[in-house]
Amino acid sequence: MPEIPTESPRTGVIHDLGYRRYDGPREGSATIARTLFTTGLRHAYGLGRSGKSKVMPFLLLAMSVLPATIVVGVLVLTPATSLPVSYADYTNQTQLLVSLFAASQAPVLFSRDLRHRSIVLYLARPLGATAFALVRWLSMTVALWAFTLVPTLLLFVGALLAGLDTSDQVTGMLKAVVLQAGLAALVAGITGLISSVSLRRGFAVVGSVMALIVLTGVVTAVQAISASEDADSASVAVGLASPWSLYSGLADAWDAGITTQVPVDGAWVPVYVLVALLLGAGCLLGLVARFQKVGSR
Amino acid sequence: MHTGGLPVITTAGLTKHYGTVHALTDLTVEVGAGVTGLVGANGAGKSTLIKILLGLLEPTGGHASVLGHDIEHGGQEIRRVVGYMPEHDCLPPDVSASDFVVHMARMSGLGSSAARERAADVLRHVGLDEERYRPMGGYSTGMKQRAKLAQALAHDPQLVFLDEPTNGLDPAARTDMLRLVQRIGSDFGIAVLVTSHLLGELEQVSDHVIVLDGGHLLRSSATGDFLQRTGSLLVEVIGTETERDRLGEALAQRGLTCRPRGPMVSIDPPPPELALEGAAHDLIRDVAAELGLGLMRLQPDRGHLEDVFLEEGATRA
Repeated sequence: MPEIPTESPRTGVIHDLGYRRYDGPREGSATIARTLFTTGLRHAYGLGRSGKSKVMPFLLLAMSVLPATIVVGVLVLTPATSLPVSYADYTNQTQLLVSLFAASQAPVLFSRDLRHRSIVLYLARPLGATAFALVRWLSMTVALWAFTLVPTLLLFVGALLAGLDTSDQVTGMLKAVVLQAGLAALVAGITGLISSVSLRRGFAVVGSVMALIVLTGVVTAVQAISASEDADSASVAVGLASPWSLYSGLADAWDAGITTQVPVDGAWVPVYVLVALLLGAGCLLGLVARFQKVGSR
Repeated sequence: MHTGGLPVITTAGLTKHYGTVHALTDLTVEVGAGVTGLVGANGAGKSTLIKILLGLLEPTGGHASVLGHDIEHGGQEIRRVVGYMPEHDCLPPDVSASDFVVHMARMSGLGSSAARERAADVLRHVGLDEERYRPMGGYSTGMKQRAKLAQALAHDPQLVFLDEPTNGLDPAARTDMLRLVQRIGSDFGIAVLVTSHLLGELEQVSDHVIVLDGGHLLRSSATGDFLQRTGSLLVEVIGTETERDRLGEALAQRGLTCRPRGPMVSIDPPPPELALEGAAHDLIRDVAAELGLGLMRLQPDRGHLEDVFLEEGATRA
């Protein structure tokens, strides 16, 4: 270690300033939370991390944008009166990519700090465990929302270029964007909770894939069987079990361009909304409890 | 210095029980500016105390305040102006120390450019040079400890908690780290509460020592008081144990009570006729000369922090 003089020189010749105190401004918790949010959002896409970690998120994003690009190309070149796929349904059709993005990136935001124990360093700073958990969840939600928003906006621009009816397109697009935000919040909560509990990245990814992709597959299968057996309410009820079927059910009820096998209507609509809210709130509470528990160890 | 003469930390009857485990019992201490050592065996309650003071753990009973903020209500205010270096590994392996310290400074409320400037400064002070740009996963234990220390200092705190900063370091790195701890307390003007289970280390660097044993306060006083002269003398002569014993026997014949201690002869406080300033020293010199032994060392014996455990432990039992 270099020898450092104990007194700062006052003669004007600067060789070494010694230790300098900081008496500049210190931001409040809101600004700190915003910094944490932005960093988390960037990290979800591998920005500010190693080059390798950018591959997965951007590959998935490219794959989810590709069909939209093709649709736009066809739309502009050939005369058409409507989009071949609605905005909300496009997200539904590419759900595998959205789920994979969530499963692969949630561990970045929710496992890393716990596994490497850097959470201790965060919690020894102004933001508490609750705020930390909520900000992380918000980063993941916005990352997922952006993931679905990019192809949606691409389709929208294509539709306008192709001269489709503007007011129809705006309505469809805005409905989809609202539904996507809810979906992102739910999926971020579920994958976040799974990643914060199973700290091994592999387990977290597999757990999230089970919860999102496998469960949704099972739900869709059961829904189809119930519908073909004319057990309509069973078919709608099973749809409460997965975030994706909640999304498509609510899109169906709201006339946002997805048609479920059995229409979600009447008293089922508030039930769908309620279950979605409870699921989201439950995941958030679980996340907060998890971070508080780890923080006090 | 920010703190002036006021106590940096005060606790009153601080107690923490985990079920039947009593991590801290009725702890009342005051910590001032400078370096304060917190000594105790593993499980003595050192880390628990730090976590309570940071507001990360709620005490079962009692009160404490840090830099004038009450721990019950002022946790956030405390964490804004306090740095913490945990005992265990807490660094993400895929981030460079430079990026990490900048991020941690921002998490303490510094703006982007201030955080960059401070991180560069602090990393230089802890002695991380070119390696600061490498991912921390490849660091040696010594480098990791430095990076952990850097993040604790990044926001220029008024007080730092250093939990076992010398853990896992080799003797040279240990000395470096201790010198750094001392400089933080004196040159940087940041109050330091440093824990260790090695008493000898804290003897060297701290102004004040608090000794915990099984969650109880054993003793809290200035380091000098622990190391008072005991009145005994230590003598070492060139040669082996044979020479040592020859000297010891000769001195015993002259009326001094001697006992071997390692390669040295320990002489109990001399009797009244030899207690006069320098009389015992003269006698030892003369005896060594008569025996033809080369006198290597003649020094007053001092107490050791270890003795506190023996003495006060015995009193308590």
